[in-house]
Amino acid sequence: MTTADAVAGRRPDLAIPPRPRTWPRVAGIAAALAAFTILTTIPAIGGVELDFASIARNWTNGADRIVQMLTPDWSILPRTWQPLLETLEMALVGAAISAVLAVPLSLWAARPTNPNGVTRRAVRFVLNVVRAVPDLVYATVLVAMVGVGTLPGIITLVLFDIGIVVKLVSEAIDSADAHYMEAGRAAGGTQTQINRATALPQSWPAIASQVLYSLELNVRISAILGLVGAGGIGRLIDEMRGFYRYDALGTIVLEILVVVIAIEIASNLLRKRLR
Amino acid sequence: MDNTAAAQRPEAGDHASPASGPWPITLDDVTVRYPNGVVAMKNVSLEIAAGEMVAVVGLSGSGKSTMIRTINGLVKPSSGTVTVGPHDITRLKGAALRHARGDIGMIFQSFNLADRTSVYRNAMVGRFSHTPTWRTLLGIHTAQDRDIVMRALDSVGMLEKVWGRAGALSGGQKQRVAIARALAQQPAVMLADEPVASLDPPTAHSVMADLADINADRGLTVLVNLHLMDLARQYTTRMIGLRAGEVVYDGPAGSATDADFEQIYGRPVQSRDRLGEQ
Repeated sequence: MTTADAVAGRRPDLAIPPRPRTWPRVAGIAAALAAFTILTTIPAIGGVELDFASIARNWTNGADRIVQMLTPDWSILPRTWQPLLETLEMALVGAAISAVLAVPLSLWAARPTNPNGVTRRAVRFVLNVVRAVPDLVYATVLVAMVGVGTLPGIITLVLFDIGIVVKLVSEAIDSADAHYMEAGRAAGGTQTQINRATALPQSWPAIASQVLYSLELNVRISAILGLVGAGGIGRLIDEMRGFYRYDALGTIVLEILVVVIAIEIASNLLRKRLR
Repeated sequence: MDNTAAAQRPEAGDHASPASGPWPITLDDVTVRYPNGVVAMKNVSLEIAAGEMVAVVGLSGSGKSTMIRTINGLVKPSSGTVTVGPHDITRLKGAALRHARGDIGMIFQSFNLADRTSVYRNAMVGRFSHTPTWRTLLGIHTAQDRDIVMRALDSVGMLEKVWGRAGALSGGQKQRVAIARALAQQPAVMLADEPVASLDPPTAHSVMADLADINADRGLTVLVNLHLMDLARQYTTRMIGLRAGEVVYDGPAGSATDADFEQIYGRPVQSRDRLGEQ
């Protein structure tokens, strides 16, 4: 195209290649997914039974409880401080211990930082097993092993956090550009040296971000763990639920909400500083 | 030092002394075929004398990067032999190969720095083959290593940035840190894979001048991959032209003509092939 053509907005005939038609494939995949989802809700072929009519029949039972929860009983607050503090301690200690353990495990589970396929797959398999066991099962077994209290709760949170943090961090390392590691290899470094001096500093933001996320999750989960005797505010929740004190439960839920929001704000501030 | 001695060194920490360079580089009938079937080098035989400064020029995909990676063992040749000084690179494995790499400095087009850590820690990567793994794990460096790294950074004018973050540097500064990292190895040979391809023309000249100084002052054998023949003519004494994995030119860099360019690049020279006229 000449300058005069460009100024005048004239374009010569262009040999534009035909645009690939991808929509039939996309539409086919979407239709297959939709059909599969519908099939899973047909009890006759082994699908789950979704009785939406039961919601209409019984909604008043739930509504009464929701109304009670929306009128919190603030007099319960003094009884919640100690178990809430225990929950926070469990969440923090669990996240801290899992962070220490997750650093080497994440590096062993990622391809660029562990080219040895055998050990990498072994680490990933063990972590898949750890992740597959529900946290309530860990807590129940650990309460039986070490007794009622915060210790089984903390161990449960560590196992839960490691499963999440290592998976997310190792996937982040796998998908990141790892050219910097080639310099270490070219300089004659061992994989451990390369990981420690270059991969670890590059991975800190991903590690910190996931550990902070696990801290947020820990507060929610530790509230549940108390139901099986693993310490924290869950024990109080279980007690109030037993006495049908939904007004007191409303107060506890609000407290947990405040704590979770506070941790989220603090996490976001930390993440910004880590960038 | 011979290959047997190199292979017997059990600990990285034993490899404390600098390489007794400069060393020659020899490629004997080297062919590299990648697993996808691409033949990146075809029966290449070359001899680069100790202390020579040689440019390898050619189009993208001509085999320049493969050749340089074959020399330090990052790419294994399908056949042929690569020798660097006393090391038969093609036969070395494990710790012996790592020690040999420690004697061969390498600079990359994209600098390959860990951006989130300091200039100091990046330059310290050059001391890997001289440092036991436990020291690196604990982040404890010897006074000798610190001194070598500081001097390397000073020699490329980056000492004042030593505690700064590598990611905060400009492209030219990053490449200087990468050169310091390679110098910290105290190598006998310096390989540079397109070291100026990501830089503006003045910075490119400045980095090439640094490499020429390394060759002249330290007497290291320098092999540098370049896209532009002008830089090869200006800064190196010998030029090797690669085309489709084969050597199509090998002669003095200063006397390479436009006809030689056409032989290497498969087309006549144009203004965009000259630095500063792109």
